[in-house]
Amino acid sequence: MFTCTGCALLCEDIEAIVENNRIKEIRNACRRGAARMKGCMNRLVPSIAQKPADIESSIKKAAQILRNAKSPMLFGFDNSTSEAQIKGIQLARKINAIIDDTSSFCQGILIENILHKKLRTCSLDDIRNKADVLVYWGSDAQDSQPRHLSRFSYFPRGESRQRGYEEDRLAIAIDVRESNTAKICKGHFYRIPLKGDREFILALMEALSGKAPAYDTKNMLGLASILKKAQFGGIFVGIGLTYSIKNDFEILTALADMLPKFNIMPMVGHYNMRGFNEVLFKETGFVNRVRFEGNGVQDNKYAIIEALKNKSIDALVVVGSDPVLSLPRIVIPHLASIPVVCIDPCQTFTSGIATVNIPSAASGVESSGSAVRMDGKVIGLKKILENNYLSDEDIMKRLMEAV
Amino acid sequence: MGIDIGKFLKNPEFEILITTYRDIFQVEALEKDRFGEEYMKLSAVISLSKNDLQKMGFKPGDRVKLSNNYGSVVVEVKESKKNEPGGLAFMINSPWANSLISDETDGKGIPEFKHVKAKISLSKEQITPIVVLIGTFYK
Repeated sequence: MFTCTGCALLCEDIEAIVENNRIKEIRNACRRGAARMKGCMNRLVPSIAQKPADIESSIKKAAQILRNAKSPMLFGFDNSTSEAQIKGIQLARKINAIIDDTSSFCQGILIENILHKKLRTCSLDDIRNKADVLVYWGSDAQDSQPRHLSRFSYFPRGESRQRGYEEDRLAIAIDVRESNTAKICKGHFYRIPLKGDREFILALMEALSGKAPAYDTKNMLGLASILKKAQFGGIFVGIGLTYSIKNDFEILTALADMLPKFNIMPMVGHYNMRGFNEVLFKETGFVNRVRFEGNGVQDNKYAIIEALKNKSIDALVVVGSDPVLSLPRIVIPHLASIPVVCIDPCQTFTSGIATVNIPSAASGVESSGSAVRMDGKVIGLKKILENNYLSDEDIMKRLMEAV
Repeated sequence: MGIDIGKFLKNPEFEILITTYRDIFQVEALEKDRFGEEYMKLSAVISLSKNDLQKMGFKPGDRVKLSNNYGSVVVEVKESKKNEPGGLAFMINSPWANSLISDETDGKGIPEFKHVKAKISLSKEQITPIVVLIGTFYK
């Protein structure tokens, strides 16, 4: 059995049918996971200034870029093993670089609150064994973490939930659209206006405290009644909720305080984003947006969006991420104007503009290691295919030697 | 032969609010080949409710130009599969949607990926190819 790196559920029941050292078939994974494990059509090749080069020269050139930079940033690592993340942080420390990852504009704020123990949480195994009320909030697990409902939350039998979804579990969706997850939560889908989460939470808190809220009174009282009766609940916080309350995140803490039987569960996309947050947190006390000047210092100005917008970085190393695809196009011109080193198994939009490209092994398929599941559990990744690619960890070590 | 006056008239423009979301088929296409046709076909799309389509006079399959202060793209119109009430349009998270995202963050590093105001109008232009979105940055 192998571990899927399609998302941060890190499903450990994957079978790979290998023929001639190529993956012929992936079993048990979802569409996303199977596609990821089978690999991309366009492998990255080493290059300097978009001209083919050998790996050694590419690593040397990358090190030279880092040596010459006054304010370099290392970005990504959410699709790398925890071992590679540790090396990446050591490299950032050695060269006094900024280090950031996609959690900076994703679920970082939520994970930070969880690591600071401001929010009660539990393991996905606890959810499977005990949970009777499930709230998918701003989260379309069916499309983003497709086996969440079938492996852990809604459909499976658990120790205290022997009748699974038919009798023992109730699923609720709160969202701005009727997602595929909301469709499953038949009769318990609460549609809210865009950015309406705060108002919804305030009304729900009123209803939980026994008052009749002005906002959607009947539905709110009904929902409060379901939540109060729960024996063991999970609120699965998607990016929709996180974005909506990002300027007033304490409101989620306040709601959680009124729901002592509920656990706040982060829904994470990239397979080891939580791992990056945890590793950096252990090293510095911060989950992202850190600059090393001796000790790590966190500041919003070290978020990749701000750094590009303010043109405050003069070199960028991207590891297993594609910021040219995922960031607002309006901040890309600065990225395209500075030397970029792209480390990835596949060609990406970022590799297309990078000064140096260094191909890496696809972790979990071509290299081993460990990663942190979205609930914090450490999961092993086992290599499936023999290959000559350097792992992200190897590349970080080599860069550290060469800078 | 009469003059086609229609081609000199500007297509009516409507204000819309867009939110972004994830789609498993599009992510699958991304994992396989982000430069491929399938990824573009699944990404360069805006979904509108039946009500909004009628109100704006669009049909599924029409091409529309979306523009705001941050960028402009041409994408295909689809009707929302679900029974959406209207007033909100949907785009899958992709470089096409990202062309319309503001860099205003109040200094907090998180752009409004899910709250995008734009203008929408019928367009005869081709769907914006990825080389136009990304290629301009190639050195």
